[in-house]
Amino acid sequence: MSASRTEDLDGAAARTRSFSLGDLVRRRPETITLVLLVAICVMVAIANPAFLQPSTLIDIGRASVVMGLFALGVFVILAAGGIDVSFTAIAAFTMYSMTVLVQNHLPGMPIIIVILMATLGGAGLGIINGLLVHHLKVPSLIVTIGTQYLFRGFLLSFIGTVWIMSLPPQMGAFGRMPLVQFESANGALITLPFYFLVLPVAAAVTWWILNRTLMGRAIFAVGGNADIASRLGYSLRTVHVFMFGYAGALAGLAGIIHVCANRQANPFDLVGTEISVIAAVVLGGARITGGTGTVLGTILGVLLIVVINSVLVLVGIPSTWQRLVVGSFILLAAAFFVTRQRKK
Amino acid sequence: MAAQADQARHSKVFLELRNIQKWFGGVHALRGIDLTLRSGEAYHLLGENGCGKSTVIKIMSGAHAPTSGEIVLGGETFTSLTPIQSLRAGIETVYQDLSLLPNLTVAENVALNEQLVDANGRLARLFDRKRLKETAQKALAAAGLPTDRAFLNTIVSDLPLASRQLVAIARAIATRAKLVIMDEPTTSLTRREVDNLIRVVERLRSENVAVLFVTHKLDECYRIGGHAVVFRDGQCVAQGPIETYTKKELAELMTGRSIDAQRYRTGKPFDAGLLEVDHLAADGVRDVSFSLKKGEILGITGLADSGRNELAMALAGVAPASEGTVTMEGQAVSVRSPAEAIARGIGYVPEDRLAEGLFLDKSIFENEIALIASRLSNRFGVVDRDEGRRIAARLSEEMRLNTRDLDLPVGALSGGNQQRVLIGRWLSITPKLLVLHGPTVGVDVGSKDTIYRVIQALAEGGMGLVIVSDDLPELLQNADRILVMNNGRVVAEMDAEQATEDQLYKAMLTAATESVQ
Repeated sequence: MSASRTEDLDGAAARTRSFSLGDLVRRRPETITLVLLVAICVMVAIANPAFLQPSTLIDIGRASVVMGLFALGVFVILAAGGIDVSFTAIAAFTMYSMTVLVQNHLPGMPIIIVILMATLGGAGLGIINGLLVHHLKVPSLIVTIGTQYLFRGFLLSFIGTVWIMSLPPQMGAFGRMPLVQFESANGALITLPFYFLVLPVAAAVTWWILNRTLMGRAIFAVGGNADIASRLGYSLRTVHVFMFGYAGALAGLAGIIHVCANRQANPFDLVGTEISVIAAVVLGGARITGGTGTVLGTILGVLLIVVINSVLVLVGIPSTWQRLVVGSFILLAAAFFVTRQRKK
Repeated sequence: MAAQADQARHSKVFLELRNIQKWFGGVHALRGIDLTLRSGEAYHLLGENGCGKSTVIKIMSGAHAPTSGEIVLGGETFTSLTPIQSLRAGIETVYQDLSLLPNLTVAENVALNEQLVDANGRLARLFDRKRLKETAQKALAAAGLPTDRAFLNTIVSDLPLASRQLVAIARAIATRAKLVIMDEPTTSLTRREVDNLIRVVERLRSENVAVLFVTHKLDECYRIGGHAVVFRDGQCVAQGPIETYTKKELAELMTGRSIDAQRYRTGKPFDAGLLEVDHLAADGVRDVSFSLKKGEILGITGLADSGRNELAMALAGVAPASEGTVTMEGQAVSVRSPAEAIARGIGYVPEDRLAEGLFLDKSIFENEIALIASRLSNRFGVVDRDEGRRIAARLSEEMRLNTRDLDLPVGALSGGNQQRVLIGRWLSITPKLLVLHGPTVGVDVGSKDTIYRVIQALAEGGMGLVIVSDDLPELLQNADRILVMNNGRVVAEMDAEQATEDQLYKAMLTAATESVQ
């Protein structure tokens, strides 16, 4: 609900109202996400104080980048009432094609151009999604299931299936480039990579688009009710093309960062992780039916999933339990959001 | 009044429709509409449901393109308008559904469109939050709503319906509107809010804005004054100052049909009572009591928001009643769900047969036996198809379906035949009471005749029938008695043989504005 207005106006409204937890949760459902995140961190920290080491936190930050970029794209589409399951295929397509292109044909290409081309390539594939959704008038779930197979099939049939183990040097260097580096107590070198910066920047840009531009308002308007929005003069075509293009661009960017960070390009990677990304966005308070949610909530949702995935091992919970925990959190949060809705 | 008419002649023409035709598939919705709207005037577009009123306003607001004809707007001629063109020209519409975005704030709903229109619909623009707030405050003040921050930032879905209506009106006057179209603006307003609305309209007219009302509430039209424009069957049948027409004349112009159509009802109700409804209340229905004898046909009518639909659904257990008792043959019964209603012998043919009743891709046979599948099946759950086919064939014959092929999917049938399948299905459980909700909506004339004959045959056999409909001739031709509902209550009961369409129409309309929520 809350991101459907500008967030500073929202703050003002909250002050003038009588304060209650129930009201807060209804207006800002990501409060629940934050509570769950803090709760799980406290529990893990009590069970194993090693969790609070800088190295763990940096691991979490590093692991959030790719999923966070995906989630921002999914959030924008969800806010407009659509859904996308093809973004992992777009990421796999652009990352692998770019790696092959740089390695075999243009070895000297500067990394910034590589990243830019991957992003634009992703945007292009996303725009295909947007045009199909708009002109076929088919639900976006069906269209993107189709294009997920299409993009991935094209990648594996025509571009290659070989696992590239040694990256072009500029890509590997980008993956290792440090933002912050220090030595831990046991003498190991801990690095927060430079590419981590991409996530806060992308989050800020997404927030700005959604809250400060007419496009952002149009996205929420379409998510609220597409027929009414179109009657009021919002162009559905522009919104569809923009939101899928934007999500595609973020997916392309995420793909290339995934390659650089892992220092290898596996064409079979990424596809299959869509559901956990969508889960993160929904855990962040965005309703699957559209028109609601915040960027902050989305990032909190991603952190929650990443923390569950990476730290449960620290307290001796087998990794196979991650799914149980994620699943019960989703049900818990969803049930909470729904009862809040009914009580209003 | 004469001075006003004089002024109308002199004020500038704002919008002109010339010979507008509109086809929806095979339906000729508008048959050559000519209409001139002048600045500073008020117009009341009157007509029955489906006469083309909504289509005309959608053409003005750019939601529909006419099939042929011209729209002259500010001296320029168009064959059709886009929503942005229409908005830029200053045409603002308050739709019946209000067209508010439920997830946005009051301020955004009221004032965001100004910026969208200024940007000519292009979205790659920053939006000006300060201007949003200023415009919203001005418009809300003009509509008599609060302008504090808390209200500006309230999510529209959190507002009560009456406030939403005023927010929609505030949006229409937020920009430099030249024509404000209001589609049934007063349906959910209380008396006090209607007075407020009338003040808003007077202010708009004094600022040389044209106002076009689409409404059923004639009393309000007279209070506001201006021009009456009467539509019937996609044609404009009368135009002129509203005070020159009486209510009766307007009602006759709207209905237009010759009232001397033949009556299907020839039988008489049995002496034995069947149904007693005592002080029934449900969402939208308040304190309704009536009784029904065996073999009697009771018509219930009223405007769309009168509670007639809710009453039908309460009787059938679709939307159960919250208070009151229902007695069938002397026994108090509870109908909390459709299944319970069926068990008590109450059948219900819903208004929207496609969404609520039929399985379109399934065969006639499967649709007809849907209610008795469990009775037809043996203890292993296997359905006795032969017995089922015999029953389905008998029902199809009784309902005079135009096909003998029971395996034809229902979706392939005409609307009239689909309705017959649906009624036939209910006959399979031989109900004591059948509630028919809009039994001939979207049905051709021939099928109407068949359905009416079936209805009469059922009553002759002792079944009690309740027909809920806004098709007044239908009730006059078929029912024994007609109840008229208004604002959740029964406001009139008439003998169908004596009553006229005008009387019914008047009963439906009067008191509508006098009600206090």
